[in-house]
Amino acid sequence: MLQAVVSGLILGSIYAIIAQGYYITYITTRTMNFGQGDFLMLGALLGLTSYGAMATSGMPTVLSILAALLIVAAVMSLLGWGLERVAIRPLQHAHSIGWILSTVAVSIMIRNIAMLIWGRNVIPFPSPFGSEVVRIGDVGITRHELFIAVCAIVIMACLFFFLNKSLLGKALAAVAFNADAASLMGINPRRMAVLAFALSCALAGIGGILVGPITNTAFFMGATLGLKAFAAAIIGGLENPLGILLGGLLLGVIEQVFSLYNSAYKDASAFVLILIVLIFMPQGLLGKKVKEKF
Amino acid sequence: MKKWLIYGAIGAVLYAFPWIFPNSYLIHLAQGFLYTYMVVLGLNLLVGLSGQLSLGHAGFFAIGAYVSGLCTNAGMPFVISMVIGMGVCALAGAVVAMLSLRAKGPYLAMVTIAFGLLIEIIANRWVDVTGGPAGMYLPEPDLFGLPLGVVPYYWFICLLTLAVTVLADNLVTSRIGRTFQAMGNSEVAAATVGVNVRNWKVLAFALSALIAGIAGTLFAFQNAYFNSDSFTFDKSILFLVGVIVGGAGTRLGPVVGTLIIYLLPQLVQSLYDYHLLIFGGILLFSLIALPDGIVGGLMRLKKPTQAGQRQTDAAVAESDEIGWASEEPNAELAMEKVVMEFGGYRAVDDVSFACQGPEVRGLIGPNGSGKSTTVNLLTGVYAPTAGKIVWNGRDVSAYPPHRMAKVGITRTFQNLQLFTELTVLENVLVGFHLHYRTGFAANLFHTAGFKREEQQFREKALSLLAFVGMAHKAEETAANLSYGEQRLVEIARAMAVKPKLLILDEPAAGASHYEVEKIMKVIRKLKSIGISIILVEHHMEIVMNVCDRITVLDFGKKIAEGDPVHIQNHPQVIEAYLGGEEVRKLVVGT
Repeated sequence: MLQAVVSGLILGSIYAIIAQGYYITYITTRTMNFGQGDFLMLGALLGLTSYGAMATSGMPTVLSILAALLIVAAVMSLLGWGLERVAIRPLQHAHSIGWILSTVAVSIMIRNIAMLIWGRNVIPFPSPFGSEVVRIGDVGITRHELFIAVCAIVIMACLFFFLNKSLLGKALAAVAFNADAASLMGINPRRMAVLAFALSCALAGIGGILVGPITNTAFFMGATLGLKAFAAAIIGGLENPLGILLGGLLLGVIEQVFSLYNSAYKDASAFVLILIVLIFMPQGLLGKKVKEKF
Repeated sequence: MKKWLIYGAIGAVLYAFPWIFPNSYLIHLAQGFLYTYMVVLGLNLLVGLSGQLSLGHAGFFAIGAYVSGLCTNAGMPFVISMVIGMGVCALAGAVVAMLSLRAKGPYLAMVTIAFGLLIEIIANRWVDVTGGPAGMYLPEPDLFGLPLGVVPYYWFICLLTLAVTVLADNLVTSRIGRTFQAMGNSEVAAATVGVNVRNWKVLAFALSALIAGIAGTLFAFQNAYFNSDSFTFDKSILFLVGVIVGGAGTRLGPVVGTLIIYLLPQLVQSLYDYHLLIFGGILLFSLIALPDGIVGGLMRLKKPTQAGQRQTDAAVAESDEIGWASEEPNAELAMEKVVMEFGGYRAVDDVSFACQGPEVRGLIGPNGSGKSTTVNLLTGVYAPTAGKIVWNGRDVSAYPPHRMAKVGITRTFQNLQLFTELTVLENVLVGFHLHYRTGFAANLFHTAGFKREEQQFREKALSLLAFVGMAHKAEETAANLSYGEQRLVEIARAMAVKPKLLILDEPAAGASHYEVEKIMKVIRKLKSIGISIILVEHHMEIVMNVCDRITVLDFGKKIAEGDPVHIQNHPQVIEAYLGGEEVRKLVVGT
């Protein structure tokens, strides 16, 4: 049981990282990348390839991991920029749900391209840290899981610092609060939208590298993970990064605990959980209730 | 009549298809096209018309397939199984709607996604019942003992498709469709004319799910075999693509949308390695190039027709005749020590006032004094934190907006809330919501009673529009009107509710000088026919001219009440508007 909770927390922290990407773009543009999962898949495959290339060329493990993370973050940011330009900005004034479909359109194209490059089969993604298990009391944790935990903490800390303390983060918050007023203060809301999507995609990519070794890495891996991360964001409250962290962890733990009984329950539990949360708290766990003014 | 000719022609073409193309692959394709179209049509009612969202329609499709399949395998006749499947789907739709009533935007999307995925998981994993990925085998469908081979089954699908199309079209052009659309445009405005938004949302979901259920059944029996691979999240997305790319809310959109989502993949199937790329590319391109969908885009190209001329000539002249007046002008409103708090901030603080109709009561105060909150309280948009609102001897404090409308209180909006996609006339017609007598079936089948009633209310709506001087714009789309005109239409719509108390929230904001005159005239006319009015307004010229009594709020508290002369000379009112003693000295110079 405790084992399930620990691995749930680790899985959940990955959901939370991906879900923060939904948060960032939602507050700045009121849109999200519904294809976040496929960007994650691309991050995983790209990370695998670039790490593999560097590791075989004899670079030390730690250095090649960092390099792979950087490469993936850079490429994904670039893609995020492209996504905003192609699928979000042209639809800003159109039908209010057009962006759902346009981001899905981009993501299925990416899925197809990934299939052409990496093939249809599941690719083994060995963790760079090997598969040794560290024992703490009754709980066994692989070294890769430790790595995930450390990464998640570092990324969350950076993200919170960036959003709350840095000038750019404050500019992002300002656009979220009132785009017109922000633009009068000399902030370019469009640039902020690009930044938000670049950041969001980079997070998805990093999430992909982290999750790769503990799941099946293939061109079709994204859809479920993307949806679960979305579920995590909704459970926590889409406009509250702390809530999202909580939602991700909760989802991860519940899934792992239920998978002790039956793998069918594992997938179903996530969606039953979300229905229950939304029935009683339609704004998510930590979402703010807003009174509309008329 | 023309309508039936078109339907007849479509029916004839569909009927003749197997003879023109006696090819089982093509007939199969046509069957698939028709039931896919049905799902898209149903989803269009939900997404395009009533402004809801479903990313889980494959779930309803699946329920239809499994329920009817299981019933048939249990020995029930095909048609009965189908009806049961429809019923279960409608029920499931209602449940999903009730689960997601309070959820909006992405949260609503998530509820429907979760529903769809749950159904998918059940279909996949509950192998004992559903057969899972290995599938479920079904007997050949039969119609009361008459076996349906490939071609007769195709005709059966044609028949159902036509029936669903005709009935859906009937609904869309009846008050049901108008109410859906009104709700999609502005929930709060629909509620203030008496629409129980919650029930109507449930109805929209149930209808849409029911249609998807028919399609699911037809799909299941097409090959006498199906498995759980057909009900994925991607399928739900695909249905939505059909709605949006075809043109959400348009009548032809689902046909065009289904062509794109059903036939296009068949065409590019041979390019298996690239078909997602091609499909994604086309989807992205069409969303960017035609944001209103293909049909919506084409309609925009077509010049606006001369619809305005149709039947408005009769009533263009402004009239003072108004049969639709308040018949029993008893209006006794009392706010008793009402408090409204928002997270510790008291927007309305212990306000009491009474209003005895028929009178025109002004409600004024500087910005942030709690006027709008008071209006929202009186119309049920907010429920007071403490205190009571009593209306004609009844405690209505906790009434939601549609019940307030039912007891005779309605309003207009400061930030205009017209149903922008409807015409001016249709806006007023939605206002009659509480007074329609025909039921759902009459609207579904366009019975004679329905037509009579529709005609009757159209005339009444026109006379109301004539009353506010807007009859000449009856066929104009509401979004195209000027601010002042929109405010007049809002008044006409509110009058259609037949209110005893009408609350006008800044009716002259943004109106031109000419329109201000017109609005003043309308207010006087309203009073003369016995409707009580609460007028929230910043234009002092209007307030002082038309109000019998005025209540002044400042910082959420009532600071003065009395006739216009009394208020004009009230020291606290002057202080609230112009500032304290020092300012007064500066201005008055004493």
